Amino acid sequence: MFLRLVADSFTRRPKRKMLTLAALALGMAVATAALSVSLDVGDRLAQEFRSLGANLLVTPEADSLPLEIGGVDYRPANAGAYLPEADLGKLKTIFWRFNIKAFAPILETQIKATPVAWVNGGRNVRTHPVIGTWVNHSVKIPDGTTYTTGIEHTNPWWQLTEGTWFAEGKNECVVGKNFARHPPGFSSPLGPGQPLFTYMANGEPGPTLEVVGILDAGGPEDDAIIVPLDLAQKLSGKPGEYRRLYVSALTKPEDAFARKDPKTMTPAEFDKWYCTPYISSIALQISQELKGTDVRVIRRVAEGEGTILTRVRTLLWLVTIAALLAAALAVGASAAASVIERRTEIGLMKALGAGSGLVGVLLAAEQLLVAFVGGGIGYAVGILLARILGEKIFGFTPEPKFFLFFMVLVLASLITLLGSAYPLRRASRYDPAPILRGE
Amino acid sequence: MSDSPMFWRIVRRLLTANYGRLFVILLALGAGAAITSALLNLQIDAKRRLTTEFRALGANVIIAPRDANANSAGGTLEQALLAGLPTENAGKSVPAVAFLYVIGEVAKAGEVHHQAAVIAGAEGQGLTQVRPGRRTEYSAEKEKDPAACEIGAKAAEQFKVHVGDSLHLRNQGREATCKVFAVVATGGPEDTQIFTKLPTAQALADLPGRISLAQLSVTGTPDSIERFINALAQRLPGADVHGVRQLAQAEGKLYNRISGLLSTTVILVLILTSLCVMAGMSNVAIERKNDVGLMKAIGGSVRRVVRLFLAEAILMGIAGGVIGSAFGVLGSIWLGKAVFGVAAQPRWIVYPVSVGITILVSIASAFPLRRLASVRPASVFRGEA
Repeated sequence: MFLRLVADSFTRRPKRKMLTLAALALGMAVATAALSVSLDVGDRLAQEFRSLGANLLVTPEADSLPLEIGGVDYRPANAGAYLPEADLGKLKTIFWRFNIKAFAPILETQIKATPVAWVNGGRNVRTHPVIGTWVNHSVKIPDGTTYTTGIEHTNPWWQLTEGTWFAEGKNECVVGKNFARHPPGFSSPLGPGQPLFTYMANGEPGPTLEVVGILDAGGPEDDAIIVPLDLAQKLSGKPGEYRRLYVSALTKPEDAFARKDPKTMTPAEFDKWYCTPYISSIALQISQELKGTDVRVIRRVAEGEGTILTRVRTLLWLVTIAALLAAALAVGASAAASVIERRTEIGLMKALGAGSGLVGVLLAAEQLLVAFVGGGIGYAVGILLARILGEKIFGFTPEPKFFLFFMVLVLASLITLLGSAYPLRRASRYDPAPILRGE
Repeated sequence: MSDSPMFWRIVRRLLTANYGRLFVILLALGAGAAITSALLNLQIDAKRRLTTEFRALGANVIIAPRDANANSAGGTLEQALLAGLPTENAGKSVPAVAFLYVIGEVAKAGEVHHQAAVIAGAEGQGLTQVRPGRRTEYSAEKEKDPAACEIGAKAAEQFKVHVGDSLHLRNQGREATCKVFAVVATGGPEDTQIFTKLPTAQALADLPGRISLAQLSVTGTPDSIERFINALAQRLPGADVHGVRQLAQAEGKLYNRISGLLSTTVILVLILTSLCVMAGMSNVAIERKNDVGLMKAIGGSVRRVVRLFLAEAILMGIAGGVIGSAFGVLGSIWLGKAVFGVAAQPRWIVYPVSVGITILVSIASAFPLRRLASVRPASVFRGEA
């Protein structure tokens, strides 16, 4: 009989139940969407910040001072120390290897280059900075696998306006847009497919390069010639070596604990610090793996990223809580409304001898059923909504999380019961006579 | 209207007939208004605050010579242009620092062995904003010294100097000394440079009144920074004014995502609020069948009846909106503090907007009352549901 009463209230007046159900489903959909977006977006935002570029810089430990102005090192090629390219695979063997998103070694040199073949050894041709680096390079990892990375990942703002990136092992180059616009000793702009004649410092002709692309980096690189690392090594006479390494790592924003000096930590603290992806602990792990290096944190990127990320995350949770609050209110109000609407019925039941407790349990059971159905529909709609929101705003799809399903069901039942508690209590106290009279 | 007092009397009675229900609807409207206004205010504030936070990333606009030769002594600019730079964008001051770079030889005072290093003469407002980093050593008192200079962490290590030590600088026979007041770690090329006063570097380079470039840290939305750059480029035809692409791209992306998220949430909250009020109203519609039947029976037109209920909805919207929005704006001040560490500035425009939205929501959710128009007095009086 109890079940029949519950079932009847759904089948007899489906329209009324629809509104409650819709409110519940929509409220829970928003809750699901907000929760699943904000659960996933934290990691996603951290990745987003990697478009700021590398946050770690690796240089030789025993080095002379780099004479770097506007991104170009003016030291002669034989001054200062170099690092072995062969070691770079070890980067993917550190404790936080999966947090190393990209890395690219740099070897700079200078060369005389012009699009016209010069007769007198290019004596009148200006020297230009040459940047040797990796693009789409496969690195051998000591565990036998390979990893593909390069400058296009560490410096995502480097864009080719024309052509393609160079291929390794070929005499190809990409030139900066300023260089391309006013190539030395040439009146018209340079484009892909044209040759570039090079001369060594002593006037000897170097390899003839083919321009394959034009780079717009928005920085001093726009005046440079970018070549594969192996070619730069050949040009500078430094086979298998590089001078600077940029590493882009996913990190946890620094907190008070991260700012402590690792040397003053207790062993337990040190372990905790070492096993947390702070930028400083990743820096230490890299310097342990790459011998003879000095790993420095690029402060402007790392710190800017840290503060902004922390704030945005707080903001996100705040917004999620606001959405949850609104959803709870909507569900609670509609639950309350659905009870008030049933006064006559309650009166009749009581007139027929039902106690206040039984009426309460009956209505609560009904509400729970609504909550389960509404919560279920809401979860499904919410996952869809999260997908749309995630793709529209963040360009990614949040993974549907199954535990959210239970959370939403529990939440829906709780809020529904809470919302109907007060009107239910009132309803159970109704005196049947006036209600049945229609007053 | 001759029956105006009667009209309002009925409205008053409608409102006060059931305090419990009035409370629920007002609570729904008020809470909706509070969340809406808090989010709206926070949204405006967060966007503004975010652009400020981005400045932790350092200079985002660079003024360089048009023909930037690779050689350091190549292109330089007039130092005078620094004085003509705009000092403000979007209500925020614009730190601007001019640099002159010289490759000279440096040694700790008293030592013979000199080593090549980049000497950067700097002048302008806000060097620490333009070049963010961490000062591992710093003395405010020594900064006042007329020959004070700052040294990059890596260079300090190389020359074995600390705050208070003197440096000897020389370039092609020209000499200068300076006293270290800070050691700075940025992780960038600045770590290997020595920052002196601009005239010192100019004297060393024999380039009086010239600078290599100027760096600016402009606060604003991506669009407003773009406009700033274009306006500046027109004013300085001899120079190449460009944004730092690295920052511009990442900032633009993040800014759009976060503001998109906030806007979406505001809309969702509004939908939920109106749903909440609608649920309450549909209740009202059922309860009022008798009233409406009576009104119609004694000659009230449908239009007048609807007007009555509309007036009721608007009144509730105003009450809920006025109270709720006030709470929301106050709440957002506190929320701003929780998120950004600085109390959010209340935007007064948010208040009327959010009250207006609440009234609209309230009217829209009176939609279930539409059912009342089809009430037939006779069947109501017969007691049919």
